[in-house]
Amino acid sequence: MKKDFYWAILKRIASSILVLFLLVTFIFLLVRLAPGDPSQKYLSPQLSPELANKVYQSFGLDKPVYQQYFSFIANLFTGDFGISYNYRQPVVSVIKDYFLFTLIFSSISLIIQLALGYYLAKTAYRNEGKFLDRILSASSIIVFSVPAFIVGLILIYIFSVQLDLLPTSGIKSDYYDDLNFFERVQDYFIHLILPMITLSVAGIAVFFKYLRDNFTVIANQSFITNLKAGGFSEKEIFRYHILPNAVQPLISIAGIEFGILLGGALITEVIFALPGMGRLTISAIFSRDFPLVIGCAFITGLMMIISNLIADLVKIKFDKRLIKDLIT
Amino acid sequence: MLNKIKIWHFIVAVTGLIIILRFGYIIDLLTVYYLFFQTLFAGKENINSFITFPFIDNFISLCLIFLFPIAIMGSTSAKKKLSSQLNFSNIFIILLLVSFVFAPIITKQHPDFQKNISVTKLLPPFSSVNYILLNEINKVESVQENKLKDLIDSKIPKSYNDKIIFIDSSSFDATFKYYQSGVLSVIDINKLVTENDKPFIGTKLFVLGTDEFGRDVFTRIVYGCRISLIVGLGAVFVSFFLGIILAFIASQIGGLLRIIFNRITDLFLAFPSIFLVVLILALFGSNILSVIIVLGFSGWMSLYKIASSEMISLKQKEYFLTAEQIGLKKLRLLIREVLPVIIVPVIVNLIFQLSNVILAESALSYLGLGTGSEYSSWGSMIESGQEYITQSWWLIFIPGITLIITLLSINEAGRKFGQKINPTIG
Repeated sequence: MKKDFYWAILKRIASSILVLFLLVTFIFLLVRLAPGDPSQKYLSPQLSPELANKVYQSFGLDKPVYQQYFSFIANLFTGDFGISYNYRQPVVSVIKDYFLFTLIFSSISLIIQLALGYYLAKTAYRNEGKFLDRILSASSIIVFSVPAFIVGLILIYIFSVQLDLLPTSGIKSDYYDDLNFFERVQDYFIHLILPMITLSVAGIAVFFKYLRDNFTVIANQSFITNLKAGGFSEKEIFRYHILPNAVQPLISIAGIEFGILLGGALITEVIFALPGMGRLTISAIFSRDFPLVIGCAFITGLMMIISNLIADLVKIKFDKRLIKDLIT
Repeated sequence: MLNKIKIWHFIVAVTGLIIILRFGYIIDLLTVYYLFFQTLFAGKENINSFITFPFIDNFISLCLIFLFPIAIMGSTSAKKKLSSQLNFSNIFIILLLVSFVFAPIITKQHPDFQKNISVTKLLPPFSSVNYILLNEINKVESVQENKLKDLIDSKIPKSYNDKIIFIDSSSFDATFKYYQSGVLSVIDINKLVTENDKPFIGTKLFVLGTDEFGRDVFTRIVYGCRISLIVGLGAVFVSFFLGIILAFIASQIGGLLRIIFNRITDLFLAFPSIFLVVLILALFGSNILSVIIVLGFSGWMSLYKIASSEMISLKQKEYFLTAEQIGLKKLRLLIREVLPVIIVPVIVNLIFQLSNVILAESALSYLGLGTGSEYSSWGSMIESGQEYITQSWWLIFIPGITLIITLLSINEAGRKFGQKINPTIG
């Protein structure tokens, strides 16, 4: 059984690597097939033809596409994505800073989403059928339908324009360097309140809705009635029987959500001008910085796969029966 | 009282209201098209030059605004189909469809119409502006074609209009003086349209205000609904087609092909599709057709999954085997035997897909990648309004709220439909 389990995990990882490889190949071909020459953007017309040709060669664009592809794949195995056209640095070192920000930012956001979603769902369930429950359910549907960019703009309008409380963009103030440690933390905090709300609000609504519905569905099943008849207290039943069952489908959603968040919260980052993966990817796409585009895509796909795998493992931790699903 | 109103009552009431409110414009249009057909049947040449997109657009709306209520009231089956109760989402979806079809009749001007920006820019909702009209200089000719041309020019709104001048304030004695944001201009009275020997000064109401170029926000919202719906329906159709066809091929051939298709589906699902969409649109250029195709291609996975799982269970059913044995062609098999069975879960998925696509389109327009520059779209309105957030809230909030209500009512409709089919869903 144990051996089967590890074997299944290995198989899963192998197929994920295949998927990732296909993804990178797909994007590589797409980028190379696109009309237009990326080196044109970085060449000034005053440059002498020999020098221009040198730049062109330094981009590796003079070779045929299949040769470019093979050298790209060969480099990939050593963790080298090439040199970013725009930043003139290795792609890995460009991505590093942006990825660190995204990792911290989206981890905090996911924790907020899960915690608040759980807390609200629990509160609503406790007040089942009452006014609070109904208003929470209704507002979760509404909040879920509101696009992130409208949430962000409404928040900016209320808190930055009208009340003048919070900054509209960036992650630190101009006078950041003069501050001591605690003031710096505070500065980050003030800058990230609005983006955090923008990013989290839809997720809170989703988790709330799922949990709330699951609570009702499971509470109506006969084993709960049986437990009630056995004299267990409501609290015990909720904690040990309803909750573990209700949380399960949530974990895979959280896994997908986290993977998407690690790829960068595109809209939120654009509105608030945050230095995250989403905005890096978009700016790389717009400036035709091909090595960076492929690097970002690779990282995004990798994160997606890792977080899904982690979600599956956590799910197995909750319910051992799921090992069977994984193996077959 | 309210729950006795049915959907078809509401549709007829709305179209009737439009006819009453825009009666003058409809009469104008009728005269234009009467004259047009007169010239057409008289066999005059270069009639083609009159046929432009707004011309056809107006004609279709004009026909439909009379045909629509009559057709609904006339047929019992239509009444029966549209006899469910009104609710919030129904009302809004009907209003969307009405503004989609009747956009040229509902609005009073071209969506790109702008004039005298210094006076009309960034006006708050419900503000009105005075205007004066220059009189026609050359109305000597009375050749039929020129008459038609003049009529079309004067009646059907265009993106420019030389005759109208928006003003802040005015005074007149021998000459007419008017101010446009502090700049004084003088004009001869003879050049103006007059009323009782005084220059005619009209007021124009901007119901939802104007944007930074002095364009009417209401008009742009109504026309923006067209973009959202065209892109939404088009993309949903593309993904429907793709998903069903791929699932059918996979279920018919099976084996290795199925595994490959499933892998590809996983590949697409593993990657946040917004990046792929942005990548393709940024590299290959974005116009309305490419947006539809790319959004359609990015949404076929969920449909494929639903359709292929249904088709596998269908393959063992006896009636399906019989149909295969009789020797029905593949296409016929798909349309006659497969589609009717899987259509119900597919439609629920498609409705949610529609709201996803509308959201994606506005997000793309917000990023500057949609159809924005050519046509007015809600996302691009929000994007351009963002710069003026400190002074004009309506540029963001009005398109934003419209978008939210649209998404909400489509989601609600999908949920209701799903509930009807499968009552166990909460």
